[in-house]
Amino acid sequence: MAYHTLLYGFAFLPLCLVLYQLTPQKHRWKVLLAFSWLFFYMISRKLLIYLIGASIITHYTGVRLELLRTEEEREKESAAGKKKKEIRLRYQKKGRQILALGILLLLGVLVYLKYYNFFVRNISNVLDLSVLPFTLPEKKLLLPVGISFYSLEAVGYMADVYWGKIRAEESLGKTALFLGFFPQIMEGPICRFTDTSDTLYAGKSLEWDNLSEGYIRIFWGLFKKLIIADRLAVLVNQIFDNYMEYSGAVVAAGAVAYTVQLYMEFSGCMDIVVGSGRVFGIRLPENFRQPFCARSASEFWRRWHISLGVWFKTYIFYPVSVSGLVKKWNQFGRKHAGKYLTRLVTSALALFPVWLCNGLWHGARWSYIFYGMYYFTLILAGMAVEPVRDRFLGVLHIHPDSFGWRNVQRIKTWIIIFTGELFFRADGLRAGLHMFRSIFDGFDIRKFWDGTLLGLGLGRADFAAVIVGCIVVAVIGSMNENGIITRIRKARASETAKWCVMYGLLFAVLFFAAYGDGYQAVDLIYAGF
Amino acid sequence: MEKLIEILNEIDDSIDYSSEKRLIDDQLLDSFGVITLVAELEDAFDISIEAAEMVPANFNSAEAIWNMVQRLQENE
Amino acid sequence: MKKIVKRGILFLLILILLLAGCSVWAEKTVNSKRGIVNGRSRAFAEISAEKENTLDVLVMGDSESFTSISPMELWKQKGIAAYDCGQSGQKIQETYYMLKTALKTQTPKLVLLEANLMFRNPGRIENLQTAISEAMLYHFPVLRYHNIWKTLLDGYSPDQDEYKGFRIRNDIKSYNGDENYMKETKDVRKISTFVDGYMKQIIDICRDRNIPLMLYSAPSPVNYNTAKHNAVQNYADKHGLPYLDLNYKTKELGINWKEDSYDRGDHLNVFGAEKVTAYMSKYLSENYDLPDHRGEEAYKEWDRLAEMYRQEFLAVKGK
Repeated sequence: MAYHTLLYGFAFLPLCLVLYQLTPQKHRWKVLLAFSWLFFYMISRKLLIYLIGASIITHYTGVRLELLRTEEEREKESAAGKKKKEIRLRYQKKGRQILALGILLLLGVLVYLKYYNFFVRNISNVLDLSVLPFTLPEKKLLLPVGISFYSLEAVGYMADVYWGKIRAEESLGKTALFLGFFPQIMEGPICRFTDTSDTLYAGKSLEWDNLSEGYIRIFWGLFKKLIIADRLAVLVNQIFDNYMEYSGAVVAAGAVAYTVQLYMEFSGCMDIVVGSGRVFGIRLPENFRQPFCARSASEFWRRWHISLGVWFKTYIFYPVSVSGLVKKWNQFGRKHAGKYLTRLVTSALALFPVWLCNGLWHGARWSYIFYGMYYFTLILAGMAVEPVRDRFLGVLHIHPDSFGWRNVQRIKTWIIIFTGELFFRADGLRAGLHMFRSIFDGFDIRKFWDGTLLGLGLGRADFAAVIVGCIVVAVIGSMNENGIITRIRKARASETAKWCVMYGLLFAVLFFAAYGDGYQAVDLIYAGF
Repeated sequence: MEKLIEILNEIDDSIDYSSEKRLIDDQLLDSFGVITLVAELEDAFDISIEAAEMVPANFNSAEAIWNMVQRLQENE
Repeated sequence: MKKIVKRGILFLLILILLLAGCSVWAEKTVNSKRGIVNGRSRAFAEISAEKENTLDVLVMGDSESFTSISPMELWKQKGIAAYDCGQSGQKIQETYYMLKTALKTQTPKLVLLEANLMFRNPGRIENLQTAISEAMLYHFPVLRYHNIWKTLLDGYSPDQDEYKGFRIRNDIKSYNGDENYMKETKDVRKISTFVDGYMKQIIDICRDRNIPLMLYSAPSPVNYNTAKHNAVQNYADKHGLPYLDLNYKTKELGINWKEDSYDRGDHLNVFGAEKVTAYMSKYLSENYDLPDHRGEEAYKEWDRLAEMYRQEFLAVKGK
């Protein structure tokens, strides 16, 4: 029962809303927890045990760390100046051990379930070469839904308690709800405790504004997913599943189509997720901010799958950048290598693990690792050429914020994104490389309009729906980018206008969505990661 | 404090640090800027900044940065 | 809180009104422009567009149904006016609403249900989903036919190759397996509670209208075995329904598995269907009171269609 299904929007969610409202405020979070686990059970059945296990580990690691801190405070109070530092270091060590154990347990399960077979396969490849007579057997491992998302949330929570950024949650059930809240379990956003804790447990009564605006957001997500993404899925699958048959402009079109599909699908799902939180008055963080307005690869990642980027920045990038190794390099570099190089190498040291993890997080495949390294290289290269670029602009008297230059950068960024997604979607690294090379093999721009594209499973009407849909999304996106939407919402649009938007979106979906004759339901892409 | 402003200006001199209160929230200072700044601060004030300090609240304004530096100096 | 309930109800009421209005328009369009609907919903559109009260036999079920009985052959043999309203992979929910849709305009004298779909069970959640969506599609046909806007850009052609729900499939891919596939066994395949629930409703509808309901199984070594037969037989006995399993009569029918299937024993091709239908025409006219409409003024179109069918059949037979 994914978020874009009838069962979710018209049965599961309304039922939860009703029970939530009928329950006394103090206990409402329990309704949410019950529905969250029911939701999980309906998708992953017995694997619910993993989520419950993760909740228990996370919770008690948090509680233990919190206890340690109170002990530390108490001891410090009675100690004098010099001793305080000693106490601090002692407790820091203890805390670090507890945190490490918690992280190890959680990530251990994730790594085992997600990467064991990849590991074994690659090990056996090596072993085969050295003619060893034994191989490790591959195992059939079932992944519980959302494990990649809630594991990161759990690690973030424990680290935040360890760092003293938040106080540990006292109720096990509430920690479990934080990790398992049903709208965000399948595809994120990867919340930090402070993102949701203030609204998640409040048990606010339902309000009409929350309900109507939440459902508008849900319909908007359905619009993106069902009208645009599910149509493009037909064309994308055709090209990527039969990539040997295509080359040149068709492959390029496939890369663009996949990028658009992925965006519409993932951001559409996020709209449904945020809207699902909103109906309860729960604020979930945004995961997208008009990514196609980005002017560089690194800006793109601050606008695309934001919560993952923030997670990596907080729990990998910064910790690595203030780690002993990087600090040592910094001291050394300043003396011997000059500022430019010091900065570049420091960034590289902190960025490399981020992008390696980003690639691996998506799954155990070489093509995902390549995808991570692709962005690592491009972002680092972007930093490296910055001084040269600035001088170049200065010589040519181009203002870095001028309209023309901005668009040059955007188009450059688009090409980077499309290429990245080509490798991301391709069935393995070899297929990706083949497809990438084949783009330049007889590229004929006329293929875009000479009818070739009509032979890929979508008819004229389908293309029309996709194009019109994309224009609508682009207009709304640019209104968002320029703050117009926020202004409209602040001005409190009239009730009539709101109803028109609701019916408009709902009927657009009912009429133009890719369901029924000739269409297959398409599963959520990111739920597979 | 002057030393701090000097360091900040070296990283990006187009920002008015005396009034800006949302250096991180508005992304005036990106993560690369932050890690450069951290390295400079550690060097200039002889402090050690740990991962726990890497929160927006500590870097959003010159004043916040200065407070953090003083706190860490006391802790040493 | 009152405000929310009031507004919520108002919202739903307006929604229902709008959907109902659009549905009237959609049904009119579909009935006036034949061939405008493609894919799964086509069967629904076609049956609703049939002339009122002309059909005497409704053949329902999944692909086993519309590949085994050819209405034109029934017409030729006994003048029985039958219609194939099965769909590939039809689910029991669809069968139920297909029957209700057909009964809006038709008063058949027999409903013939191919039993293979009674074993389709995609799981509880999937079943629930289908139950909700099929109910909505039935009550708001605009949702079922929503894709007709596409014909504005893609165009459409009124299809001519359909003979009351039957198409001539003349490919031959032989079944080379065991011809005695109905092995003796006491095993009984399980029929899901979901199917049971919908079957009961189907039985009730037929009882209420005094329409006899008969179960049958088309010959198919891929789909049938004795365990399935036992299940259907038990079910039929329990509810007092007649059941005819043609898998035990392949010799009598003269089915030749080398020639009469188009996909290695999964489905019958037109040659197999002709044999089954020849047998069925005799069986039905002996057991049920079905009038011979040949030559009647109201059935002129049937004679014309039967002639077209004969021509096409002869053409493919020659190959």
